[in-house]
Amino acid sequence: MLLSNGLIGLREGLEAALVVSILVAFLVKTDRRSVLPFVWLGVGIAVVLSVTAGAVITFTAATMTFEQQEAFGGAMSILAVAFVTGMIFWMRSTARTISAHLRGKLDDAIKVGPFAVVVVSFLAVGREGLETAVFFYSSVQSAGTTTQPLIGFLLGLAVAVALAFLLYRGAIRFDLGKFFTWTGALLVFVAAGVLAYGLHDLQEAAILPGLNTLAFDLSDTLPEDSWYGALLKGIFNYSQRTSVLQAVAWCAYVAVVLPLFLIRPRTRARVAANH
Amino acid sequence: MSKRILGLGLLLLAAACGTPSQAGADGPIAVEATDDACKVARTSANTGTVTFEVTNKGTKVTEFYLFAAGDRILGEVENIGPGLTRRLIVEVTEAGELETACKPGMKGDGIRGKFTVTGEGKKSTDGDAKLAEATKSYQRWVNSQADSLLAKTTEFVDAVKAGKVEDAKALFPVARTYWERIEPVAESFGDLDPKIDGREDVIQEGLEFTGFHRLEKDLWVTGPQADTPAIADRLLTDVKDIVTQAKAVELTPLQLANGAKELLDEVATGKITGEEDRYSHTDLWDFRANVDGSQAAVAALRPVIEEKDKALVATVDEKFKALDALLETHRKGDGFKSYTELSEAEVKALAAAVDALGEPISKVAEAVAK
Repeated sequence: MLLSNGLIGLREGLEAALVVSILVAFLVKTDRRSVLPFVWLGVGIAVVLSVTAGAVITFTAATMTFEQQEAFGGAMSILAVAFVTGMIFWMRSTARTISAHLRGKLDDAIKVGPFAVVVVSFLAVGREGLETAVFFYSSVQSAGTTTQPLIGFLLGLAVAVALAFLLYRGAIRFDLGKFFTWTGALLVFVAAGVLAYGLHDLQEAAILPGLNTLAFDLSDTLPEDSWYGALLKGIFNYSQRTSVLQAVAWCAYVAVVLPLFLIRPRTRARVAANH
Repeated sequence: MSKRILGLGLLLLAAACGTPSQAGADGPIAVEATDDACKVARTSANTGTVTFEVTNKGTKVTEFYLFAAGDRILGEVENIGPGLTRRLIVEVTEAGELETACKPGMKGDGIRGKFTVTGEGKKSTDGDAKLAEATKSYQRWVNSQADSLLAKTTEFVDAVKAGKVEDAKALFPVARTYWERIEPVAESFGDLDPKIDGREDVIQEGLEFTGFHRLEKDLWVTGPQADTPAIADRLLTDVKDIVTQAKAVELTPLQLANGAKELLDEVATGKITGEEDRYSHTDLWDFRANVDGSQAAVAALRPVIEEKDKALVATVDEKFKALDALLETHRKGDGFKSYTELSEAEVKALAAAVDALGEPISKVAEAVAK
């Protein structure tokens, strides 16, 4: 009871903690600490909204229809993909500037509005925030009979935050070039997972077809309720029953974005040398 | 004092959260989920709001689903951890045989059970909300047609001004198609309609002869005149104007229903007689477009009419089908035959099909007004 609720907490918290920690590490590494408050602002807004909306849904009779819920979740996911993709390429352009030793130009390269930082952090946390808040309330309500779910859930969240912090500490130690390559590539896979997840929501709401046309079903080999399945789901939004549409979208996204991210554009120095 | 503020706060809260849905006469339905069972306390309910309280007494994380026929998901709760109770509130609008399912371990098809819903078809959204949705969906359609009208009119005007007579002739019925589809909306802006769509007869009313039909005359009869480019420019200006207005207009459902009827009257008075496109004889294009517009209005109102008069929907569908089939016989290439190619008998048959449709369509407005 403790473990399986803990895994839910871990899963729900991991993706958000991961994206936020990479964003924070990035800002710290590029000496943009002044932007950090905006990260916490985005996180804060998402938490407050989720907790409030969760309370309304739990303690009043207000409810969203199933289609509304799924459409909302799906739309939030796809929006999050757009912003995380933007963040990946924004990091890449910064990395380029740095590797070209143009430290002075660094500020130009990351002239990204605080607004974008707020939105990325908000979406990372808010995407699953409502579901997490509702889950939290029901574990509080069941605390009358057993406190195990609540404790498990909170422990899971804590582990997610701890893992993200470890990632942050590790990432900070890398030299800049490596840091960008690794975290960027990781984010590509995270975003691909969020995209697939969002499409799955839309399939469940029957807004998109093909919910039961499965690409694979690994329920027995790699179950979501195992600790490794929960980690995979938390980080990459792995789902044990993946529909063809999800699989195609995931592959297409990775096939397009990863090469774009990894291919180093020819530097001007080489062009100059050809003269 | 503080009490009063508290009361006000509660009131606000109640208002903010909408009206609480009634959790059924008998309260929520308890569901006891374990690793190998899914005990639903009651397997029947009335239409309306159905609430399940799902308690997971097993060791695995579970999910609870309510399926309609063909495994269409009506509602689900995920992440029901062991020891937790979570609520699923579903609006079931129609009576029928449903299925409940628990999915311990979140895998497979779950442990299924039959669930019967009886009673009147009910929608928590009242009739007004349906009407609002109908006007919204029609408005979306009008917007899309208005965009195309602007795009095609621009092409048409460009061709006219470039002196490309053949191109312009080909574009004329296409641009008009979008105009004719949304004519009732356009006609509600009184002064623009005669400027864009007036026939030569407007001269007798003391108006200037401009717009589509003036250009039609130039293209097909007299050849381009000195003021043709200016007339073309004015047409584009007027169309831009009407597109802006059409997008901003707020229609009532009754206007929609009447619009569907007006479009058919339009066919009966303008197209059947062949007076509208008297120089180009592209009347059948306009005819088709008017019918499209009428169909779109009816389609938007469909959920409303179905609720009030199911038989009427069937009748309207059938008559539309007959008219569609008849129109299809006059297709030629991408468009239609010239109106002059129709025999008298064929024109009569078209008129009869339009008349047959006019009667049930006029009842649509009555049904909406009910």
